[in-house]
Amino acid sequence: MKSNIILLRTMLKSTSLVNIYRYTTDKKKKKKVVAGFIGIIILYAMLMGYSLSMCIGYGQLGIIDATPVMCAFIISAMSFLFTFFKTNGYLFNFKEYDMLMSLPFEARTVAGCKFAYMYIKSLGWYISISLAMLIGYGYYKRPSVLVYPVWIVMSLFIPVIPMLLASLVGFIIAKISAGFRKTNLIQTIFSFVFVIFCFSLRYIIDAVVKSDKVDDILKTVSVATDSAAQVYLPAAWFSGAVTKFVLSDMLQLVGFSILLFSCVFYVVGKSYRQINSALKSHVASKDYKMTAQKKHSVLNAIAFKEFKRMTGSTIYMTNGCMGEVLVVILGVVTLVVGFDKIVNVVTQGAPFDATIIQPAIPFVVYFMIGMVATTAFTPSLEGKNYWIMQSLPLENKTIYQGKMLFNMYLTVPFMSFGILCLSISAKVPVVNTIFYLVLGVALCAFSTTWGCVCGVKHMRLDWENEVEVIKQGASVAIYMFPNMFVVMGLVVLMVFLGMKMDHKVLTLIMTVIAAALSGLCYLRVMALSKRK
Amino acid sequence: MLEIKNYSKSYAEGKKAADDVTLTVESGDIYGFIGHNGAGKSTTIRAVVGVLDFTEGEIYIDGHSVKDEPLECKKVTAYIPDNPDLYENLTGIQYLNFVADVFDISAKDREERIKKYADTFEITDSLGDLISSYSHGMKQKVAIISALIHNPKLLVLDEPFVGLDPKATFTLKEIMHEMCKQGTAIFFSTHVLDVAEKLCNKVAIIKKGKIIASGTMEELTAGQSLEEAFLEVANEE
Repeated sequence: MKSNIILLRTMLKSTSLVNIYRYTTDKKKKKKVVAGFIGIIILYAMLMGYSLSMCIGYGQLGIIDATPVMCAFIISAMSFLFTFFKTNGYLFNFKEYDMLMSLPFEARTVAGCKFAYMYIKSLGWYISISLAMLIGYGYYKRPSVLVYPVWIVMSLFIPVIPMLLASLVGFIIAKISAGFRKTNLIQTIFSFVFVIFCFSLRYIIDAVVKSDKVDDILKTVSVATDSAAQVYLPAAWFSGAVTKFVLSDMLQLVGFSILLFSCVFYVVGKSYRQINSALKSHVASKDYKMTAQKKHSVLNAIAFKEFKRMTGSTIYMTNGCMGEVLVVILGVVTLVVGFDKIVNVVTQGAPFDATIIQPAIPFVVYFMIGMVATTAFTPSLEGKNYWIMQSLPLENKTIYQGKMLFNMYLTVPFMSFGILCLSISAKVPVVNTIFYLVLGVALCAFSTTWGCVCGVKHMRLDWENEVEVIKQGASVAIYMFPNMFVVMGLVVLMVFLGMKMDHKVLTLIMTVIAAALSGLCYLRVMALSKRK
Repeated sequence: MLEIKNYSKSYAEGKKAADDVTLTVESGDIYGFIGHNGAGKSTTIRAVVGVLDFTEGEIYIDGHSVKDEPLECKKVTAYIPDNPDLYENLTGIQYLNFVADVFDISAKDREERIKKYADTFEITDSLGDLISSYSHGMKQKVAIISALIHNPKLLVLDEPFVGLDPKATFTLKEIMHEMCKQGTAIFFSTHVLDVAEKLCNKVAIIKKGKIIASGTMEELTAGQSLEEAFLEVANEE
């Protein structure tokens, strides 16, 4: 236990903003720490605001009783997915592995502490959601005073089980991949398959429940969440613990979390060294024969370097390309199933004219493609390799142009594929489809340049683990949140305006706006490149 | 102190990075491990210190099996990698205290030892700064101090002289001699054959994962320089 505490304390201290602020002599770094801290507070506030407004909605609709289960579900889903994406970088294949494993720690201790670190670092997000929902619940329900402390304490345990399950899945994938020559590739493929399965789970559950002919019962959210809680027991335990103070529910949530932790890390500890050995060591093939070499332009050379950086990292691939994979699936499914039926699934069968959604097609595809822009984290991802590009006879603007070019190479083909599939399936006229394709390219340009502004402005090179910049970096958060909310708004706006305006004119206006914004962002990148 | 018996490391592709490596390092030995780039030196060293899993053979440290009793082995071993990845956002002193905590070193002892080695390596003034602000050589010095503060019975070093300034190189060599006199076994890889020749009493040469020559310095060199002996043996195989 003592070694667990020493290790965990050191891990937390080694990434603590307070520690950096206290001991750095670099004023610029101090400013960045303060800015990062303020950024986190803003993001917490946004998340709390969003959760609170959801709760207010429940209160207004008279379904406030569903809040505890919904709270448990949201936190569980978020913690499961976020942990799954982070597992590869935090539990396995991390930078200081050699240093830690050469010290007298058991493999189980290192893995367990890494998990605990991941849990503590992300707890703030989950507690923000929980507190906001507690405030909303308290306002509408006026529960006993005891609900507040019980809710807060029990909230600490909600993310544990999903995080452990996600770690276990990550471990199984890593274990299987460790047996293959192309470890990274196999791990990436398995990760994609698993995430796609998770995304489709909602529809699978829907299908299962509907086949039981309980459609009518599921008409209210309250009953629906109760039914779902019967499937996912920790949500039911949380609800029972905080609303009825059922002792057995409290004990089950806490006890099962601890038991699962012990079991998972007993299993993980057994193969920990073997998996990390496989992930961190590769044999040199030593069979290369010199062949004819090609000359590339500087920008293409940088773009190719970015491509190889992407394919060499499972975390990069799973986070950076998830939108592209989802677009391919959406496109193929839409072609096979039909646009109308897809819309039908989304609207839960409500009568709806699918043609009015047509102008929103580029934005629907962009919602996935633009989820992450590689340019938002590739400047930071240079990390310790920063010197390579900086010591070459290249201007910063050229480096950023190369990075932007790579993002365009990555996004434009998928964007075009998605738009084409959806347009064909929705029987969009050819001319309109061309307009949508042009808008799609403009949106890719916006995503690329806006991402680059965030990536360059909030560049962070002193990371310990690439997850810190790919998944948790300030630049990614600043890129993602406004982008996501604006796109959701634009989808609604396009549908609304599409009913009043000609689709081609509307698309043209949006294209001009997206192109103008891209131009502005590009100029900003160029300005930033002179400053750096 | 260190016994490597028929150690082999295979990759998923079936290729062997280390093939039937056998060698013994006694207490008081300074054992040099030399070979070309990619010969299998670091792979062997990483297996010795319990970082890398291995498929065949056995490695014993102070009578304990690295496979079955890794913790017992690590308690008496110190490892200095060629490119130490330390916690960059800790200060030097915070990192050294972390290692001292892990080895349960009393406050008085750690203070004495950290001061002694930090003064020797002329790094005391910088211990309050973040490691991220250190040069490669300074990081290497912190890694060396962290390896020495628990008085290990076995010191394993992977290319320890890379990045060190001449004075620090001299100091490290002195420390190695001193430790060797006190009975510590030292096993290290290097490309600097002059240093190996002056420092080591035993040497092993590894090529394509196999030990192609090993023994005392006198046996191996037989009147030649280590460089000549190495090139002769390496070219023969």
